[in-house]
Amino acid sequence: MPQTTIYVAPRLGGAHGSPPPAVDTDGLARLFGRSAALAGVSLRIEAGRTVALLGPNGAGKTTLLRILATAIRPSFGGLFIDGVDALRHPEIIRTRVAYLSHASGMYDDLTAAENLRFAATMLGWSGSEVATVADRAIAEVGLAPVADDRVGTFSAGMRKRLALARLLVARPSLVLLDEPHAALDEDGMGLVDRLLGLWHEFGITVVVASHQADRVNRAADATVRLHGGLVADVTGNGVRAGALAPVIPTQAAAVRTSR
Amino acid sequence: MSALRRHATIALAIARKDALAELRGRQAVGSTIFFAALVLLLFGFALGPDSGRLAEAAPGLLWLAIVFGGLLTVARLHQMEADDGALEQLALYPVDRRAVYAGKALAGAGAMLLLGGLLFPVVAILYGVPLGAAWLPLAVTVVLGSVGFAAVGTAYAGLTVRMRAREVMLPLLMLPIVAPLLLAAVKATVAAVAGDPFGELGAWLQLLVGFDIVMLIAGAATYGFLLED
Repeated sequence: MPQTTIYVAPRLGGAHGSPPPAVDTDGLARLFGRSAALAGVSLRIEAGRTVALLGPNGAGKTTLLRILATAIRPSFGGLFIDGVDALRHPEIIRTRVAYLSHASGMYDDLTAAENLRFAATMLGWSGSEVATVADRAIAEVGLAPVADDRVGTFSAGMRKRLALARLLVARPSLVLLDEPHAALDEDGMGLVDRLLGLWHEFGITVVVASHQADRVNRAADATVRLHGGLVADVTGNGVRAGALAPVIPTQAAAVRTSR
Repeated sequence: MSALRRHATIALAIARKDALAELRGRQAVGSTIFFAALVLLLFGFALGPDSGRLAEAAPGLLWLAIVFGGLLTVARLHQMEADDGALEQLALYPVDRRAVYAGKALAGAGAMLLLGGLLFPVVAILYGVPLGAAWLPLAVTVVLGSVGFAAVGTAYAGLTVRMRAREVMLPLLMLPIVAPLLLAAVKATVAAVAGDPFGELGAWLQLLVGFDIVMLIAGAATYGFLLED
């Protein structure tokens, strides 16, 4: 594979070679048509922190997570993950980021085990390891009894568990979770809480968007509240917000900033 | 693991996944084969009972049926990715996009080969064309035609999968591009069935090889951009 030159932003590193922030966004904005889902989000998240991303529907949580995951590009702004320019080198970011979206990303006609083995292969596990890591991840999320059933027969909660298992197969430095508790029963929600604790223990940075504020705040070092595509406020440790003014005008942002 | 081996592993994993999903979704496979066979049958009715006329038209109708069935196949191979966010997930895996393209194209070519393999006997029976003696050049023609069609179809299905009117847009965009392939495949089939009296079979097969190479390179170079939102 050809050597890739990785651009590392010189401003990111702390004093005397301290590690760069896990996430550093600079005025991220995203337009869908004429509507701005994000109007200018500047955040700096220290490595190893668990950050709760809260806000009402339409606040921009999912759009921000999708940009961080490199699923979509921002219309404006900059993004560095672990010091790497994510907009110039998304292929490097994808080796480091694991993303749980609203959709499971699974294939209905394949069994749970086949889906996870496919994911393990795509995530770089070698032939002899694929079955082992996939089967272990399925067992971890409590789907071992139905591992050989087709995903098309699964409930929404079982799909969510399988998507969580895919996160366990990955080897990320940054985990992005979009409504991880949604569709899960109490046992499944406990599983998410345990995983949040596990990732925190291993020093993996986690950004989790949720409407279950009480639940994610228990695991979070910091809370970022979005409103109208902008950062409304930041509390806790390990996260700093930049300018709160929008870089592009939106109706919601205009209302917020005029207060 | 060398980069080339890693790419091959990814491509084979995607092709295997697609093949499994295709074979398990039996209704989809069965309906495609039935549709292509029905096209042949209806063309037969339209042309009438004249056996000479039927035999003369058979190569062209065979390839039209393969193309129509192939359109459904390549569209379905991408539609399964669009269900429940699988396409976005596929785009987020840290793999070379050329390997993803190779895997999808391999699955498409395999499905087309199966379709072609099943339709040849149908044509032999319905249209009374003696295909058995020319099986080797016909097999080469089907392989080259399937690879070329899958090379184009994979790229265009990737382009149209996020469109609302994808069922219309895919044939609209793709059929003009595969016109040279259709022409070469029909001419090669005609020459093969006739025993190549004018020695033109090799030239048509060379055109198919050239088409396949150009389209595979173009598809591999552009598919990565199509996967991005």
